[in-house]
Amino acid sequence: MKIEKEPISGQYGKFKINGIDYRIYWEEAGQGIPLVCLHTAGSDGRQYRALLNDKRILEKFRVIVFDMPWHGKSSPPENATVGNYKLSTDFYISQIMSFINGLELVKPVVMGCSIGGRIILHLAINFPDKFRALIGLQSAGHLDPYYDISWLHRQDVHGGEVCGGIAYGLMAPTSPESDKFETMWHYMQGGPGIFKGDLFFYKFDGNIGNEIKKIDNSKCPIYLLTGEYDYSATPEETKSLADTIGIEMIKMKNVGHFPMSENPKEFLKYLHPVLNKIS
Amino acid sequence: MFKSLIDDNEKRSQLSIMAQYLNTSFMISTIENEYLVNIEKGVVKNVEEGPFVMPSYVFKLTAPKNEWIKFLQHIPEPGSHDIIAMLRRKVLKFEGDLYPLMSHLLYFKLLLASLRPAESKNEN
Repeated sequence: MKIEKEPISGQYGKFKINGIDYRIYWEEAGQGIPLVCLHTAGSDGRQYRALLNDKRILEKFRVIVFDMPWHGKSSPPENATVGNYKLSTDFYISQIMSFINGLELVKPVVMGCSIGGRIILHLAINFPDKFRALIGLQSAGHLDPYYDISWLHRQDVHGGEVCGGIAYGLMAPTSPESDKFETMWHYMQGGPGIFKGDLFFYKFDGNIGNEIKKIDNSKCPIYLLTGEYDYSATPEETKSLADTIGIEMIKMKNVGHFPMSENPKEFLKYLHPVLNKIS
Repeated sequence: MFKSLIDDNEKRSQLSIMAQYLNTSFMISTIENEYLVNIEKGVVKNVEEGPFVMPSYVFKLTAPKNEWIKFLQHIPEPGSHDIIAMLRRKVLKFEGDLYPLMSHLLYFKLLLASLRPAESKNEN
């Protein structure tokens, strides 16, 4: 039987992040300008499966997606224990820079969604000269808690069930059910306390206030795209962020919080023109 | 408005699998009316419409009627498509012992969404 092979290859490597060794898994496809993609809180790199298969993008871009430590096929560090994982801004920046340096990528484009859409703002503030461009999906400068995230990690509640339930609602009712299910499934496979630990960055440590004003779009072009059905980082919040930076935002119709995963076909309509500008 | 949750349990059999150990009672309030929903092993066994004198339930979901109508559209607008989205907009309130709800969150989301019409039509 002939199978349909995808152009994606996966690899493991050991990266030193803040002095500690981490075994990281990444996937890549294509050639040309490096495009490093960052997945959302509590999920993994499979969210970018459509990009890694998009012929048009792969002609000009080397798409690279890594699973954050503790996520997907990347390991926790040595001597890890359950329940202590908390993503700090410093650790998030360090893992991205370690990955980029480890692969010897020169001036890559970095695209991140949700927590990834937040961290690209930190990258723009701190290292604008290191990137060719930054793309924020579902970006907001800060997020105040609107539900009790302790439900995401309780021994008397199945973490996969509750994290999946939270993720499901963040998607558009118009997105294809099969892609929505896969997106939710990634959440259902997360380790105990990992989604909650990532939200420490998203809702507390990674919040940015007036520092947004330090972002200089002329040093590193920034593109912000947000799905209309996202109630976590709403289009209004992205608009406010874009206004502060002095750029236009792109509001994506018929998608929610996970555009690249919940409705890739719709998302790529918006992404292709952005990547054309960057290349 | 929510009475039909009891109809067509056959259609919701897949849902009941997701909550096969769940036995609970919860209240849905539209401010002007209330609906007491009883669930046994994931199956909606009874929906009673208020007013009530001494209703007994584990948790309660309260939103104005117009917000529930928006939620129950064939394709709801952003912000009305999910109960957590409504919570975020502060138009829906969760009260009581939330354990049955949060431990079966997807089940309750899909249960409520199952009341949406299969095709678009003008609703009031």
